[in-house]
Amino acid sequence: MIDLGREPEKTRNLLGQLGIALSVDEAYRLRELLGRNPTLTELHIFDTMWSEHCSYRSSRKVLKRYLPMEGSRVILGPGEDAGVVRLGEFEGKRYVLVVAHESHNHPSQILPVEGAATGIGGIVRDVYCMGADVIGVMDALRFGDPFGPMAESVKEIIEGVVNGIWQYSNALGVPNVGGDVFFDSGYDENCLVNVIAIGLAQEDEIIRSRVPDEARIEPYDFIIIGKPTDLSGLGGARLASRILDSEKRESIGAVQLHDPFLKRVLVEAIRKLLAEVRSSGITIGFKDLGAGGISCAVSEMAASGGFGADVDLDSVHVAIGGMEAYAIACSETQERFCLAVPSSFSDEVLKIFNEEFELPHIYRGARASIIGRVRSDPKLTMRYKNDIVVDLPVKLVTEAIECDRQATPRKRQEPETLDSRGIDIREAALGLLSSISICSKHYIFRHYDCEVKGMAVLRPGEADACVVAIPGTPVGIASSVDGNPRISKIDPYLGGALAVVESVSNVACVGAQPLAITDCLNFGNPEDPYVMNDFIEAVRGIGDAARALKAQGCDEALPVVSGNVSFYNESASGKAIPPSPVVACYGVIDDYSVAQSLTFKEPGSEILLLGRGQGGLGGSAFLAWLGKPNSGELPVLDLEGRRRAINTVIQIVRLGHALACHDVSDGGLFISLAEMAIGAWGYGNLGVSVKLDGEAGESILNLLFAENGGFLIECRSKSLPEIERICRSTGTTSLWIGKTIPDSVLEVSWHGGNLVLDLTDVRAAWQGALQEAIK
Amino acid sequence: MKRSVAIIQFPGVNCEYETARAASEAGLEARIVRWNSDPQLLRGFDGYILPGGFSYEDRVRAGAIAACDDIVDVIRQEANKGKPVVGICNGAQVLVESGLVPSRDPGSVELALAPNRGMGRLGYYCDWVFVKVSCEPERCVITYDLDPGEILPIPIAHAQGRFTSSIPGLFDKLEDAAQIVLKYCTPDGDVPGGFPEDPNGSEHFAAAICNPEGNVVALMPHPERSAWLRQVPADLKGKWSQRRRELRGKWQELEGKGPGMGVFRSMRAYIEASLS
Repeated sequence: MIDLGREPEKTRNLLGQLGIALSVDEAYRLRELLGRNPTLTELHIFDTMWSEHCSYRSSRKVLKRYLPMEGSRVILGPGEDAGVVRLGEFEGKRYVLVVAHESHNHPSQILPVEGAATGIGGIVRDVYCMGADVIGVMDALRFGDPFGPMAESVKEIIEGVVNGIWQYSNALGVPNVGGDVFFDSGYDENCLVNVIAIGLAQEDEIIRSRVPDEARIEPYDFIIIGKPTDLSGLGGARLASRILDSEKRESIGAVQLHDPFLKRVLVEAIRKLLAEVRSSGITIGFKDLGAGGISCAVSEMAASGGFGADVDLDSVHVAIGGMEAYAIACSETQERFCLAVPSSFSDEVLKIFNEEFELPHIYRGARASIIGRVRSDPKLTMRYKNDIVVDLPVKLVTEAIECDRQATPRKRQEPETLDSRGIDIREAALGLLSSISICSKHYIFRHYDCEVKGMAVLRPGEADACVVAIPGTPVGIASSVDGNPRISKIDPYLGGALAVVESVSNVACVGAQPLAITDCLNFGNPEDPYVMNDFIEAVRGIGDAARALKAQGCDEALPVVSGNVSFYNESASGKAIPPSPVVACYGVIDDYSVAQSLTFKEPGSEILLLGRGQGGLGGSAFLAWLGKPNSGELPVLDLEGRRRAINTVIQIVRLGHALACHDVSDGGLFISLAEMAIGAWGYGNLGVSVKLDGEAGESILNLLFAENGGFLIECRSKSLPEIERICRSTGTTSLWIGKTIPDSVLEVSWHGGNLVLDLTDVRAAWQGALQEAIK
Repeated sequence: MKRSVAIIQFPGVNCEYETARAASEAGLEARIVRWNSDPQLLRGFDGYILPGGFSYEDRVRAGAIAACDDIVDVIRQEANKGKPVVGICNGAQVLVESGLVPSRDPGSVELALAPNRGMGRLGYYCDWVFVKVSCEPERCVITYDLDPGEILPIPIAHAQGRFTSSIPGLFDKLEDAAQIVLKYCTPDGDVPGGFPEDPNGSEHFAAAICNPEGNVVALMPHPERSAWLRQVPADLKGKWSQRRRELRGKWQELEGKGPGMGVFRSMRAYIEASLS
């Protein structure tokens, strides 16, 4: 036992010496709950479980209040390792999507390669442990300004994060199916690495992360499989729950180390294990080991099944001798899973991992070990070297703690008036194309394997969403991840709502029906009332948009089925990141062959602008390029209009009318047209000639560069009447704006002016800029 | 009777399932066989495919550890009997490291797959490239069902894909003996002007090299990733992408043969020809 004493100052020192981040009050509260002083291992367990990262103490109430999490397609919402959504029945099989979405921001800032790699490594485990196969990963990245005062370290972090992502996912053999990247000086000292894993399974293959009811009838064991437990990642959850110190070396030990090779072998062994589990008709529990390590996984599995656990820490396979009990119990060593299986099946598990797949032979110290037993009463005990190091009610570990945070709205800055005199449109157009927020991101994603597994239909950059096909079926799965910090910086509510609108619009562009969304909410210190208010506003925006964007003929909100909150993205100097809600959308297409790339396909086809929204240049990439990010009116949020436009586009694409489809987002209408002409692979050679009228009195800058939504559709002339009919029936505006032309030029004319750009210049501006900026 | 191929699963490979799917689609009976399986079981197959991935974590060099695995000795013995062996990407690296390709001096390691050049930095590079068939169909196991001069769009994904050698004049000899069977080219089939048409700086633009007998081939691009038309991007140059564009709304046809399927069909044709 650790005698916490009664004098707060002494207790604080004691906790500091022990490396415990709990406050004195929290430590006393723990003593009160236990009715005695805690052991060192217990202190470490609560240090992790009560951290913001694990407990959602500041965010839980807000999430519950604002986000729709249920729906007729939802099999499993937030709460377990991943969300599960019904995809549909094809060829007699009932498929489900298993999705997980997380941040790995703090570790990536400290050790970019390891941080990003273990981000991918952790998120795929969340999906594998549900019994699904991972069919894709996405990453939303936010980096500092590569031209700013921190350029050196920003570039180092970019290179490290990109290397970490490809090194892990390529070696594991999971394709990249999308992502986005933004650069802003607000991320100079805190990069964001948000990762998503998408899994596919059949409905009856889903495995829960809990001890099954069958453990009432027969004895069950806990088995740890994978890497030997070491000291890496000790205190990782705590690291993610506080502001990074300037001397980041102190925290290096809290970053985990990745091993995709071992994971790949584990995945194959798990495949074999699950096949045997299914064929023998037994029920198991399966959970990823993440934050809090063994103590968290075992207690959550036991508690959610209504059981307890006896853990024998001596039985855990470790990498080094002489480890302390708390380190074995709480280390966040990667590439480990926990199983709860009938004791009669345990030998079979050991045989698969230790003999058939030879874990101990191919990776030093790796294996499967029985580490404990399920107990029928809800108690958690851990023994080590003849001592009882943990002995408490298991619910105490897993029970949510909550705290109310103050929230104070920020005083909104009045937008500056934009003086557009002297802006040369041609210069602006080419300048914007070569700005880092707009230019091609191929320089980054060319390292990512998008083909492995052979399911690719549309890859990153080819269309607004990626599409993979379920082999042998016409069914496509579409995905996109979005979140625009330029907007959320000015208005977090709008930023949250538009993140949903954008990800759903992207999925609509390939004709997919949106099924669900996930979110990752990245903010500064929640103890700051302004930050807390930003957070609440963003969540409220996500909730409102998710409720509004119902499918055609369906009265259900788009459910948020998984997600993660990342606070304390703030530097020691007190500089917080911009509010950064990131939203991913997942959709299904019955027939993937209607999904088209965004590239113009044929000369002489018609270009339509559907469902154009309203509003000004506020938060646009154009104003960021111009260096006036605080000017302009924001886009108008018309969720009902967005819903109609989205459902209209889905219908048009599904009926096969769209040769190409692209939404109007970053960079506005001009950039969307340019991207369609340049083409996904840069080989596009068709030009376009359009005439823009706009609203009465609307400026050409607004027409070209405002990011107020809408969709561009390329179609044949013969499709026009049908498209018009659909638009009329849904109440969506449809503007004919021009045609594609065989000449490789971009021609835009408006009342009183025109712009003609050679496609060669457009392509050159767009293609090479990122390499120049970050190499 | 269906001819059978074993897809060898070394620890760390990750393309075995789609490779097996492509081989099955080509009419072969494909079975994934783990590295520590019984050698006798392995001898029963008509051919072998070493799929892509990161066998043994690319420790030492890509393919170097797997090349020392017992299972490779069995494959070597079966290859010496004339059975076909195709190594794709990491599998190609294993065949080179084990001396099975190019095997001008049997048993010795004559080639290397060195780190890519051309991208401007080291590291993994993923892209679609074009390769041209640079031999007669009967020359080797992967060209049996392909036309000389045929141009195939196909993905690459590797960090070490540059065929090279420290033996002076080796590539001229390989060229003379028609052992370089696929070469990187422009979409029109011309000699690449540089990166990215030449994605890695391979000598003589070699994308695939066979042994003198033609039954063992080391192939860097991934045919299982362009085995179905659905996989071919619509916006590349060339007739395959044009065909893909024309099939908008016709998924059954998009599930038909893609450019890479020729490699698997060739393997089947080769096995049938050699066993008849």
